[in-house]
Amino acid sequence: MSRARGETERDRLFRIIGLCIAVESRGLNPFEVEVQQILGTLREYLPEWKALEDLMLDAQTLNQIATVVSLQGEWLKRRSTSLFVDPLLVELKLRMLSSPRLVAVFAQVWRPIVEMEGLSRRRVHEAVDYWNNLASLEERRLKLPNATNSLGIVTEEELIKRKLLSEKTFAEVLDSLWFELKERTSEGRIRYWSFIYAETYEETVKRAYLVSFLITYGYATIQINPLEEEVYLVPNKDLLEPSSRRQAISIPIAVDRETWRKMRDEKP
Amino acid sequence: MTEDVDVAAIEKKVRRAAKILFYKRHRQPGVKGWELQKAVGRDYMRVVELLSQRLAGLDLQVRRIYETEENTQERSEEENERARFYITLKEPLSASDVVLSGWRIDDVAALVVTVALIISREGKAPRREVESILREKFPGWKTEFNLNRFIRTGYLVEDENDVLYLDWRSRAEIDEELLVKLILGEETKMLEENLQSTTR
Repeated sequence: MSRARGETERDRLFRIIGLCIAVESRGLNPFEVEVQQILGTLREYLPEWKALEDLMLDAQTLNQIATVVSLQGEWLKRRSTSLFVDPLLVELKLRMLSSPRLVAVFAQVWRPIVEMEGLSRRRVHEAVDYWNNLASLEERRLKLPNATNSLGIVTEEELIKRKLLSEKTFAEVLDSLWFELKERTSEGRIRYWSFIYAETYEETVKRAYLVSFLITYGYATIQINPLEEEVYLVPNKDLLEPSSRRQAISIPIAVDRETWRKMRDEKP
Repeated sequence: MTEDVDVAAIEKKVRRAAKILFYKRHRQPGVKGWELQKAVGRDYMRVVELLSQRLAGLDLQVRRIYETEENTQERSEEENERARFYITLKEPLSASDVVLSGWRIDDVAALVVTVALIISREGKAPRREVESILREKFPGWKTEFNLNRFIRTGYLVEDENDVLYLDWRSRAEIDEELLVKLILGEETKMLEENLQSTTR
């Protein structure tokens, strides 16, 4: 845990918090965190903290350390029970076992729940009463308010409020994405996935959808490097006229959740 | 005469408990201890014990799943009230029975691999790591489909960080300790016998 050159005290605390969170969320060995040493560091830094946010950062680090200590307790408890096994050994064994053999294992350890579904006499009576009192569809339709009477005027603002209409027109959305593409391509082109990537998968898919229109309408072109298996986006300085575009071809690009997850994990 | 009345009252309670436990009352099967207490009275634990003894002849049992996983014999009244009670099979099935019960061999294999991985990693495993192991033998779409199905049926639960844990059905239906032993080959003989009975 030696301090890297140029690293400030705050950076170091952020790094410690990140480590504690990773241990907690990814189920890593909590003893990888050198609690004693970190507490020493916190003690060393504490007199230097004057600003409220620094003190809050100190408290947050201490809180994360407390979580790790609690995890260490659970980890020891788990290791002392009969359920503890080496995960790598289990993984290795699982890779070696065939499907029929895994089924044989399951048969030995599985005690399925027995459950039944049934109707009580009371429920049957209730159902009969309901049926007898239920008016026919024809009668129920007559009771419905006349559709033409309920027609009214909905303002544009109301539609935007109800998210039925976007505040920006589609052309404006494409324009802003085109400007963003131009700004982000100082080297002339950008990797397709780097450009469409957003914090959520849904937003990424939305960006991919919009990019397909940028290409179709002549705002940008696509370059494919078959050797690197990489796709690049190149913005056009001006919107290409339909006549100047080359013959259009369709290129399917999968925007899958797996690639998005990988990118998210690789992000610092 | 008083003894006859007592026996009749207990018999009535056992029948009532059986109905409550067999028939699905909620979305999730089984009932909580306090529900049984409300239906059959304060001596519900004794009633459940009697019911379990009766069911044993049919190869069934009443199984209790506590909120905490501590392996202790003595449980407090409060813990019993909060435990969930299920009726499950008592003895293991044969491998062919598992397949006949509607499970496909590859689906069962995927479930065993997933559950064993989670147990070995102290109760939780990142979904993408489980997926990557399953994808060595099954196509991606099948892996995704199966994991989602295991989550839907209550074998697994996934948190907002895409980490998988065992859910209520795994804890009720799967003997985790025996599963790990079998995977590690400590009970190879038992396995061989079962395998032979399947292929016969």
